[in-house]
Amino acid sequence: MKLISLSALFFVIFLGVLFIYVAEDIPAFGDPYSAPNKYVNLSISMDAAELEDNLNKGVIPESLMDKIEERRLPLPSRVEPIKEGEWDAIIIPEEEEQDFYPKEQKYYLIKKEGDKLWVYRYAPIIRYIEEGHHETEVPNMVTYILADYRGYDTLGETSVIFTAGVAVILLLRRREKRPEAR
Amino acid sequence: MDTEKSEIGKGRGGDVIVETVSRLMVPFIQLFALYVIIHGAGGPGGGFQGGVIFGASFVLLVIAFGIVKAGDRFPEAVNTAFFSLGVYIYAGVGLLCIILSLGVAQYLNYGFIPLTAHFEENRALGMDLVEIGIGITVMAVITSIFFNLVWKREESEEEVGEKEGEG
Repeated sequence: MKLISLSALFFVIFLGVLFIYVAEDIPAFGDPYSAPNKYVNLSISMDAAELEDNLNKGVIPESLMDKIEERRLPLPSRVEPIKEGEWDAIIIPEEEEQDFYPKEQKYYLIKKEGDKLWVYRYAPIIRYIEEGHHETEVPNMVTYILADYRGYDTLGETSVIFTAGVAVILLLRRREKRPEAR
Repeated sequence: MDTEKSEIGKGRGGDVIVETVSRLMVPFIQLFALYVIIHGAGGPGGGFQGGVIFGASFVLLVIAFGIVKAGDRFPEAVNTAFFSLGVYIYAGVGLLCIILSLGVAQYLNYGFIPLTAHFEENRALGMDLVEIGIGITVMAVITSIFFNLVWKREESEEEVGEKEGEG
C-alpha cells in the first residue's frame, strides 16, 4: 500500500514538472510574430529594378496585378510603403462585400530580397488552411488544428476533464465497503 | 421496502426485452465508438466524441442490468486507472518527441517520433495516438461520474429507508 502511494506521488510530481516545462515551451509554437504565423510566402516573385519606384509612388505595377490574378487571389487596391524594401498591399472592399470585409484590409506584404520582390500574404489562419494538409497528411482540418497546431490547448482540455472526474470521485465515492447485493 | 431497494440495485427488475436488446446493442455501440476515435483523422469524429459514445455504452448497461451487476463488469479500480492512463498517454507522446529527437524538437511536435520514414505521416500517426489518449480519459470520466451518482442515490435512498423504519 505504501509503495502504491509513493509511486502515485512520483507520477503526480512527474506530470506537474512536465506541465511546467510545457508552459515554458509554448512560445516557440504560439508566438504571433514568428514568421510562419505572421505571413505565408505565395511564391510570386518579380525583378525589383523598375517596379520599386512605382511601388514607392503608391502605384501597383501591371505585372504584379497579372500574377495575382493568375493565382485567382483578391486584387489589391493600393500599396503603402512600410520601410525600405517592404510594402503593404491593401484591399478596399466593394459596396456589396461590406459585410464580409468590414473595412479595408492589410492583405499582402511585398518584400525586397536581393534584387527580387516576393509577395507574402498576412494572417495566421492562412497557414492552417493552405499548408495544413500537406504538412500533416491529415485530410480533416478540425483534427489537425485541434491535435497538432493547438495540441497544447487540447492537453489542457483533457486535464480539465480529468480534474472534473477526480472532483466527482472525491465528493461522491463512499469510503466504507459497499454492501453486497441483497 | 425491501422490494423497492432491490429494484434500484437490479435496474428495471429483470425485464427480458430490455436486457436482451441492450446486451445486443452494447458491442455495436462500442465498435462505433472505436470507429469514431480512429476515423477522427479522416472525417468528423475524434477522441472527445468517441470517448463519450464509449461511456454511453456503460451507461446503457447500468440502466438495463442495474448498478450491482454492471459495476462488476467494469470495476472502479480499473476505471480509475484508465482516468490517468489517457492523460499520461497524451503527455507521454509529447515527451517522446523531445526524447527521440534528443532535445531538438518542441513538446508535442509529433513529426520526430520515428514511426514511419516520412515526417508528415509521423505527425498523422502521433495525432491518432493522442486521440486514443483523449478517448480513454473521456470514457473513464463519463463512466465514473455516472457510476458514482448512481451509487450515491442508492446509498441515500437506503438511509431514507432506514429512518422510515425507525420512525
